[in-house]
Amino acid sequence: MQEEYKKGILDRLADKFVDALGSFISLFKKDWKRRNRSKMEEWKLMLYALNRSPPGLIGLALVLVFVFLGIFGPMLSPWNYRFFPSLYNPDTYLAPPGSEFTLNVTELRNGQFVNYVTTIKFPLGADHYGRDLVSLILYGARVSFVISIVVIVLGVPLGIILGLIAGYYGGKIDELIMRITDMFLAFPALILAIAFSAVLPSRLQEFISSHEILKQLTLWLFALKPQDAGNLGKLLAVIFAMIIVWWPAYARITRGSTLTEKENLYVEAARAIGLSSWSIMFKHILPNIIGPILVYVTLDFGGVILMEAGLSFLGLGATPPIADWGRIVYDGSQYFPEKWWLVTFSGFMIMLVALGWNLLGDTLRDILDPKTRRSIEFKVKKAKQMEEGEENA
Amino acid sequence: MSEPILKVENLKKYFPIRGLLRTVGYVKAVDGVSFEINKGETFGLVGESGCGKTTTGRTILRLIEPTDGNITFEGKDVTRLKGEEMKWFRRKAQIMFQDPYSSLNPRQTVFEIIMEPVRFHGIEVDDPEEFVIKLLESVGLNEMHLYRYPHEFSGGQRQRIALARLLALKPEFIVLDEPTSALDVSVQATILNMMKELQREHGFTYLFISHDLGVVKYMSHRMGVMYLGKLVEVGPADKVFENPLHPYTKFLLSAIPVPDPELARELKKQRMKVEGEPPSPINPPAGCRFHPRCPFVKDVCRREEPPLVEVEKDHYVACWLYAKS
Amino acid sequence: MPEPILEVRDLTVHFYTYAGIVKAIEKVSFDVYKGETFALVGETGCGKSVTSRALTQLIESPGRIVGGKVIYHRDDGSTVDLLRLKEEEIREIRGKEIAYIFQDPHASLDPLYTVGYQIAEAMVVHGTVKDWKEGFKRAVDILRRVLIPDPESRVKNYPHELSGGMKQRVVIGIGVSNNPRILIADEPTTALDVTVQAQILDLMNKLKEEYKTTVILITHNMGVVAEMADRVAVMYAGKIVEIGSVDQIFKNPLHPYTQGLLKAVPNPLARIEKLETIPGTVPNLITPPSGCRFHPRCPRVMGICKEEVPKLKEMEPGHFVACHLY
Repeated sequence: MQEEYKKGILDRLADKFVDALGSFISLFKKDWKRRNRSKMEEWKLMLYALNRSPPGLIGLALVLVFVFLGIFGPMLSPWNYRFFPSLYNPDTYLAPPGSEFTLNVTELRNGQFVNYVTTIKFPLGADHYGRDLVSLILYGARVSFVISIVVIVLGVPLGIILGLIAGYYGGKIDELIMRITDMFLAFPALILAIAFSAVLPSRLQEFISSHEILKQLTLWLFALKPQDAGNLGKLLAVIFAMIIVWWPAYARITRGSTLTEKENLYVEAARAIGLSSWSIMFKHILPNIIGPILVYVTLDFGGVILMEAGLSFLGLGATPPIADWGRIVYDGSQYFPEKWWLVTFSGFMIMLVALGWNLLGDTLRDILDPKTRRSIEFKVKKAKQMEEGEENA
Repeated sequence: MSEPILKVENLKKYFPIRGLLRTVGYVKAVDGVSFEINKGETFGLVGESGCGKTTTGRTILRLIEPTDGNITFEGKDVTRLKGEEMKWFRRKAQIMFQDPYSSLNPRQTVFEIIMEPVRFHGIEVDDPEEFVIKLLESVGLNEMHLYRYPHEFSGGQRQRIALARLLALKPEFIVLDEPTSALDVSVQATILNMMKELQREHGFTYLFISHDLGVVKYMSHRMGVMYLGKLVEVGPADKVFENPLHPYTKFLLSAIPVPDPELARELKKQRMKVEGEPPSPINPPAGCRFHPRCPFVKDVCRREEPPLVEVEKDHYVACWLYAKS
Repeated sequence: MPEPILEVRDLTVHFYTYAGIVKAIEKVSFDVYKGETFALVGETGCGKSVTSRALTQLIESPGRIVGGKVIYHRDDGSTVDLLRLKEEEIREIRGKEIAYIFQDPHASLDPLYTVGYQIAEAMVVHGTVKDWKEGFKRAVDILRRVLIPDPESRVKNYPHELSGGMKQRVVIGIGVSNNPRILIADEPTTALDVTVQAQILDLMNKLKEEYKTTVILITHNMGVVAEMADRVAVMYAGKIVEIGSVDQIFKNPLHPYTQGLLKAVPNPLARIEKLETIPGTVPNLITPPSGCRFHPRCPRVMGICKEEVPKLKEMEPGHFVACHLY
């Protein structure tokens, strides 16, 4: 009746990983490992559940690849995105995949013109500047990665905090926060984002130009060359616009869960102890409602990337020559379908990343469901008993 | 006679009913309740659902703000406490809830659950682990349970954990809000005995709220019977059971199914017949609130509210059968 | 000699859950006699509800009736094994000849229909009335029968317009609408206050006398048992540990579990210094204890209790116990 649960390599790996993590935390917090045995057991079970879900593993792999590219992509890129081969060899203009060209480059280095000859390969083809699509995709990964993280990291907590406050206090405060949320939700997110990203850029540009450190930091984050400092305003405007349209959904989910969760008696018990509303909200209610929110966040990473691509496609956000997946699709669409590779490969990347986050999010929903874990826990225990039984025999 | 640790005078709690734009009425959950609890005793509060017994317990602890009335705890007016004094009150007066499945935070280990109040109130503990283990042992659990989560325990065990959390603060006064009504009888007996034992050991004062008359009888020294937001009878538990005065108390007592078939057959014949169910506390009947169902109703009952009068020593009743108008 | 109406033999129900096979009830056997009130008593998870539902195959997935027989003696003297009937055939009997009353009156009524409609529906489905019109007319009579004041106007009420006690009266009304031969009441008063409970119990007794219905009462409340039952079966961890008349069970409990259970109830009419307790907790039914399932908690446990499952033995006429002490 029951299928047996045998620990595979991945499960043993999960064990090792969790144990190592426990030991690591124990370095900072004395006795952490011993005190959190139950928690670690839970984590292991979550990982076992992940191991049993092929879509989840695929999603995780895609996401890990994306994160890796997001961090190291620009460093791995064979060519700089501001290197325009078509200046030196007009044939590189929209060169097809697999082609190879010789470039006679003249460059300004330390005030002197330098001449040299080099060859350039286009495994995935080139764009209308003759730039290598592989390099563009690698640079673009960083842009998408940073944007999605910034939007989620700033937008989601804002929504969660407002939702918690609205749900916990109720009454007039709730009314106020939720009506504002409704206002934002009443507009289609894309239109709102377009409106904001149309209004904001000049102010942001002004602001960022007058703060040198901030400018450098932003350039570094997006792996951009100093020449693109003038384009930061538009990029930041998109981020801002997306944060503004992102939080209301979270405010609403969090408020809903808070309303249900605060009915639990442990909340009243915490009040009877004397704890402040603030610590009840963040120490007691939040940890209990965070699971579903996390699932949402995961799904939304894909959503942010899709929306950002969409906005870039509409000509908002990243401006050429900044490499951005959505922008590449937009630019490439003018040459589609004869020069199919620009749209196809960058579009494919957007799809893969969005798919990865979605698969991971769906699996996370299962993993965070205690029922799934209990079932695996039982099977693991049974397998353990059987092993022990064999040993005894 | 020991002196009262808690004095409740004319306590009222009205919950507003919100209409579309304004308050359209009030649920008079507690409407002028007065009683005292002496140090070291258990005061039982019984009544049917909706009579306001749970609201009374929570209002006394100011988990719900009272609409009106005085609550005096160890000489201090609880309704006016603020800041440090409120913190003192939170430490001295605690509550245990009915539902063991929702009263513990599922994300905290037993250790965290018990240590949280201790840390919050800045109670000095040499070795937190040992401290918690001792508490667990005093409620019949052990160190194996220290770092487990609530879902790993049964209902009875969870109530033990809740009890250990209370003990950690060394409170003087504990509101027990139907602490065993979600448990099976065999488990209930263990928990009740343990609470009695702890009271003997630490001198706790309990306010024991329950709808189960058998349990109240077993636990309480004195008790009060509530009907529709009012106390109708107060007295020593033995006297209330032996000689119930208020018609509602009589009715309530005669309604309990007795776990003795012979006696049950006997009692069935003389069971008091009262029709209907308690009316809504939104528009309670005028005069005595029990009058529409009372078999002994007189004219005065419909007009005037009966005062609480002492009929025998320490035994009070609010009924026109015993009071002079 | 009383005439049996139901003979339950070796009834076994398992639940195939994600956590393993829950052996909810294991080889449960008992007889129910015509016209009596038979009580199934026990604590949460002892299988009393499952037993009552299994009688008419009312077990939903992941549960399954694994074995046993439920012999039902029909009015015409013929007998039928209820567990062998097809879904359509059992539906004919369920609700008509064997009716149920469940614990929570709030959940047993559909909030979208008037109470009159719901009572009428029960009769129309089983063809007790010719049409809906007659059904509604009869519904008023039924409300009157369950002592609801002003039945003519109440029949048009929706469930939320009635109090908890009134709702339970309606549920009972639906239960008795087809004049069932057996009424299975699963914790009918647990969700109600004592005073309302007393009214409902009175009502059930009255209806029982009026219509000579056989009642199977499922409850954890020993007081309700003492008040209502003629005979009692005590269940523990999916097994019947003792069966007897209500006086035998209360005056001369034989099984250590029954003894403990009775002593653990605080009797409001007695002065009790200290309640007796049963140490330990109810066992997990996925891996129930070997031998007698009560042995880990039993104060009088012996060696044999761990090894051998005790069989029901008749100690005095009509009084059976499953314990190695006897």
